Amino acid sequence: MTAPRSVAVTGIGMVTPLGNDVESTWNAILSGESGVREIAGFDASGFPTRIAAEVRNLRAEDVVDDRKSLKYASPFTLFALAAAEEAVRDAGVRPTPATADRWGLVSGSGMMTMEFDFLQRFQREFAADGEIDLARLGAEGEKFISSSEFARHRAVAGQALLHKRYDIRGYSANLHTACASGGQALGMAMRVIRSGQADYALAGGYDTMINPIGLAGFCLLGAVSTDNDRPSSASRPFDLTRNGFVLGEGAGFMVLEDWQQAKERGAKIYAELAGEGNSLSSYRITDSPPSGDGPIQAIRGALADAGETTDAIDYLNAHGTSTPMNDLSETNAIKAVFGDRAYDLAVSSTKSQMGHLIAAAGAVEGIICTLAIERSTAPGTANLETPDPECDLDYVSEGCRSMQIDVAMSNSFGFGGSNSCLVFRSPRRTEVRGE
Amino acid sequence: MTVRDGIVITGYGCLTAAGANAESTWESVLAGESGIREVTSWDSSGWPYGLAGEIKDYSPRELIANRKLLKFITRQDVIGLNAVAQAIDHSGIISHRDGLAEPSYFNDRTGVFVGSPATKYRYQHDFLSPLASAAGNSREFGVRAMNDVHPMWLLRVLPNNVLAYVGIEYGFKGANANITAHGVSGSQAIAEACRYLRDGAIDRAIVVGYDSASELEALPYYASAGLLSSRGLKPFDRRRDGTVLGEGAGALVLETRVGAEDRGATIHGEVLGSSVVSEAEGVLSVREDGAGVSRAIRVALEDSGKTPDEIGMISAHANGTRVSDASEARAFADTFGAAAIPVTGFKWSLGHTIAAGGAIESILALRCIEEGRVPGIPTLEELSPDCEGAKVSTSEQKPRSSVGIVVSRAFAGLNSCIVLSSNG
Repeated sequence: MTAPRSVAVTGIGMVTPLGNDVESTWNAILSGESGVREIAGFDASGFPTRIAAEVRNLRAEDVVDDRKSLKYASPFTLFALAAAEEAVRDAGVRPTPATADRWGLVSGSGMMTMEFDFLQRFQREFAADGEIDLARLGAEGEKFISSSEFARHRAVAGQALLHKRYDIRGYSANLHTACASGGQALGMAMRVIRSGQADYALAGGYDTMINPIGLAGFCLLGAVSTDNDRPSSASRPFDLTRNGFVLGEGAGFMVLEDWQQAKERGAKIYAELAGEGNSLSSYRITDSPPSGDGPIQAIRGALADAGETTDAIDYLNAHGTSTPMNDLSETNAIKAVFGDRAYDLAVSSTKSQMGHLIAAAGAVEGIICTLAIERSTAPGTANLETPDPECDLDYVSEGCRSMQIDVAMSNSFGFGGSNSCLVFRSPRRTEVRGE
Repeated sequence: MTVRDGIVITGYGCLTAAGANAESTWESVLAGESGIREVTSWDSSGWPYGLAGEIKDYSPRELIANRKLLKFITRQDVIGLNAVAQAIDHSGIISHRDGLAEPSYFNDRTGVFVGSPATKYRYQHDFLSPLASAAGNSREFGVRAMNDVHPMWLLRVLPNNVLAYVGIEYGFKGANANITAHGVSGSQAIAEACRYLRDGAIDRAIVVGYDSASELEALPYYASAGLLSSRGLKPFDRRRDGTVLGEGAGALVLETRVGAEDRGATIHGEVLGSSVVSEAEGVLSVREDGAGVSRAIRVALEDSGKTPDEIGMISAHANGTRVSDASEARAFADTFGAAAIPVTGFKWSLGHTIAAGGAIESILALRCIEEGRVPGIPTLEELSPDCEGAKVSTSEQKPRSSVGIVVSRAFAGLNSCIVLSSNG
């Protein structure tokens, strides 16, 4: 058996509430800007939460040049197409007829594929008084839906568009473990390349739940912050006064490839995706336990998989949602794994600025880790003003910090208890290890 | 990578339109009995497309041991968790774990891999009443939704509920994935579990594919896309005119061979290899030349270290639609040539359970090679000229070896193949 292959990150792309590409998002992170505002996409005035971090000014026609594909793209699929395009261009490589079978596509995709407008039309047509008229639905339902609507509602609609747009004919996986989706997608793609099932993978996540049904769902649970009068500080991970997360939306995609192949073609390598830890908390649907059990196994698993020890980690991009329980559980997980070293580790949550991108979060935050390595800068945690005595790590609350980062880690923990932890290594460190 | 420890099947269970467990489903299929009927879970009188493979006498309180869960989950989750309970029971892993000095290590090394149907139209129906009373006033809709909809609504409809509750109910904490890839989800759950087992990240995995595809709105909408039959599912038949949606779940317990042997488990079979590939033709398009299916089979055989002439039987996707059946048959001819390997399918009896299909059909294919019996397809009247590549029969056939393949197909041009062997 030959040594497993290393996996290089050679292209990155993202659409976030802070910017519609990598550079504008990164610049907004550096300047400490917030992407959270009053919701503009629909009238949220009847909900207890009326703020979110929305993607702004992304024009569909700038993303997709053919009108046919556009018919099949729902809003979050558009984010995916934009981020994937940036990643593929950045990598400088794309599938050809000769390599299409050797490309894989792994996506963590959002759960809300049925659009609100469709539900409204359905209600007017078949449930005028709120009860479904079954006879009418049976008789008229076939004519009610268009074929492009039917296609858009499929959970694999985005996957299909990405496969077709880039002619990716190899391995495919479409995943959904809520907020862990994007991280798990990158981890799985890494394993696909390591095993030789593919030589390249386009991998990432995309989501939006910023619509009347998604917002209603989170408001009903009391999971989102109601700080409507101060949107820019509503997301304040690890702060004593944190009171829920803020919904974000967007997409992040990476081109991953076999390290040797990337070297041979002279690709720019941002980082090595070096390890994945994947675990289940098996505690409650919405939270991990205060002890950090669940996330602990994911972090340990990622370290072991990457062949690194706690001493090697310079920066940790936390899940850091700004909910009371997540931030405590995550802090305790970090302490349990890192011991005294936990206090020397730079930990930050970029959700403090861009909100929670749900199925896209892990992918976008993985990309931020590669940038942190490349640009020797740890992003900060915004809005952390009142320290929580139980959350007492170094959260980089003063703003971005210049520091050499050789190994970065990214946590993503989902509703349902799925946990993902990824380890990214600087190219320099990978090369030294290989010698 | 061809040399490995081996991944074995130590338990399985299913719940389908044709039977409340794996044995009764298998018996029904062998006896030529179909579970497809007119829909009973709502009044479908007058519906042009009213056939479905529904779970018979669906009673959530009888399907789930922990009744407190029923407040937090939906019909599709109940079906999935029932199959998991059957498979876990069949495997004997819980009594084994409970005798261990360190059960927490066992739990950390037990993964959960799920083929999930994602969300359903019907789960948004809770918002119809607030929409109606708001009468187009968006602010009023928000206020009404906050008052009228159950506070736990979002948690009830999570696409990863079965994954989450398998963890919570049994305490498993290992690697996990929730595949939402339409008709290949169930197969891919098996494939991904094997990946993490091969990588050494876990020692055993619970795998489940579940769906209640025959929901209220799905019938007219699938019919609108030209995919449903109003008469019945007749795979590879000259007069086939579409599929029939169904409900069901199939679950398996997979372990490393060494782990299973150490605990003295009964080994029912082995997963030799798998594949998932895309045709890259769009959401609903299917290539007529079957190239995607051929490639899925070829890649899975390579992964298994098997050659086409070692394959003993094929569990086809066989969903009864014109293009899918014909392209699949063509792929069998292209891949296996004149070898004419016995082909069967199970959707004529169970309906098309979408995300559950690959898991249920893997269990049935395992039964085929275990027993040396490939059930016939009784709804087949006349083999379609464009399906001649598929060696199907109305009567039972004999597998040529104890290795079988399971083909599953999905929207997005996805094709998957699982290679199984019985413990012969």
